[in-house]
Amino acid sequence: MSLIQAQDLTKTYGSGDTTVIALDHINLSVNAGEFVAIMGPSGCGKSTLLHLIGGLDKPSSGQVIFDGVPMAEMSDDALTMLRRRKMGFVFQFFNLIPVLSAVENAALPITLDGGKSAEARAKAVEWLTRFGLGERTASRPDQLSGGQQQRVAVARALVAEPALVLADEPTGNLDTRSGDEIASLLRSVSKDYGRTVIMVTHDPRIAAYADRIVFLKDGKMLDDTLLERKHV
Amino acid sequence: MSVRHAILGLLAQHPRHGYELRAAFSAVIGGDENWDVKPAQIYSTLNRLEEAGLVHQQAIEQNGGPEKRIYALTDAGRETLRDWFALGIAPEHQRDDFFVKLMTALVSGAADPGRIIQIQRSLLYQELHAATTLRETYNPRAEIAQILLLDKSIMHIEADLRWLDITEMRLEEIKRQPLPEPEVKPRGRPRKQ
Repeated sequence: MSLIQAQDLTKTYGSGDTTVIALDHINLSVNAGEFVAIMGPSGCGKSTLLHLIGGLDKPSSGQVIFDGVPMAEMSDDALTMLRRRKMGFVFQFFNLIPVLSAVENAALPITLDGGKSAEARAKAVEWLTRFGLGERTASRPDQLSGGQQQRVAVARALVAEPALVLADEPTGNLDTRSGDEIASLLRSVSKDYGRTVIMVTHDPRIAAYADRIVFLKDGKMLDDTLLERKHV
Repeated sequence: MSVRHAILGLLAQHPRHGYELRAAFSAVIGGDENWDVKPAQIYSTLNRLEEAGLVHQQAIEQNGGPEKRIYALTDAGRETLRDWFALGIAPEHQRDDFFVKLMTALVSGAADPGRIIQIQRSLLYQELHAATTLRETYNPRAEIAQILLLDKSIMHIEADLRWLDITEMRLEEIKRQPLPEPEVKPRGRPRKQ
C-alpha cells in the first residue's frame, strides 16, 4: 500500500524565457514503511521534490496523494494538521531551538499542537531514551555534539508518531561517524518503528542505508534502484 | 608480501609453531573468508624466512603427536619487520573490468555509455547496501577486523560511485573528443621493391 504517490509532478519557477524547470513530470510511489533515498547532483530537484511531498510548496502541475487523499484538495488548515500530525521533518542544520533543552525541543510538535505538556514530555523522553539520549534530556543544544543534536531532531520528528519522516541532507553537517549513526537511526525508524522515511542526500554511503534509491537529474527521474538484491 | 611480514609480526609477539601461526593470522585478519592462507603456504614461507635468516627454529615439541617446530624471530627478522612498519604500502592498481567495458562502449558505439554507467551504479549501490547491512551485524567490541575491512570496502565502493558520477558528467565532453585509435604498424618483412 503506497503512503505517498507523486503523479506527474512538475514544478517550474519564473515565466517566459526565464522559466526554470525544477521538477519535470515525476512519478513516484512510496510504500508505507519504506526507506527511500533521493539522490542527484546539486540543482537536480531533489529538495524541491521533498518540499512538494511535505506540502511545504505546491506543484505547478500534477499532484501528491498522501494516504489516498490528494493534498491539493486539502484546505490550508487540513494541510497544516497533516504536516503536524502525520509528518516529521529532519534538517541538515538540526533546527533546534537554542534556549530549550533536548526534551523541550523534542516535545515541540506536541506542545505546539496544544497537547498536554506532561504527555508531550513523556513522549519526548521515550524517544530520546530509545535514541540513547536518556541521560541528556536536560541538555541544551550547545551542550550536545552534532550527532546528538541530530538525534534530538529525529526524536522531535517522531514524537507525534507521524507516518512519514522527511529528512533533507540529515548527515550533511556531521562527520563520517555521526553521519553513519544518523543514517542507521533512520533505517531503524523504518525497520523497527515501521515509519516511512524519505531522505534527500548526495552522499552515497548514507544513501546505501535505504531500501531504495531514486536518482534525479535536471528535474527528471533517471533511475529507481532497489538495494536489496533479489535472491535468485 | 604481507603474509611473510605478518608471520614476522606474529613471531615478534612470541615464538609459535606453523599451525598456531596460521590460526593467529586468520584471527588477525578476521577469518578465512577474508584471506584464506593454506597451511602449505605458511610452512613454505617459514622455510624461506629461515633460509633468509629471518627466523630460526627455537625448539621442537613432541607431545605424542607429530613434532612441532617452534619458530622465533632473529635480529635480522626484527629489522625486516621494523622496515616494513616504517614504510607506506603503495595501493594496488588492479585491472578494472568495468573500465574496459566502458571504454569498449565508448569506442565501439555498440552500447550507450550512459546506460552502462547507470547499470554499474545500481550494482555498486546494491553492493554498498549489502556491505553496510553486514557491517551492522558485527559486534564492534569483538569483531573489529571484520568491521575495519567492511569500512574499507564501503569506502572503496563509495569512491567508485563518485568516479562514475564524474565520468557521467564528462560523457558529453568525452564524446566530442577523438577516441583512442590503435597505431597499426605494418607486420612482417618489408615488401621488396
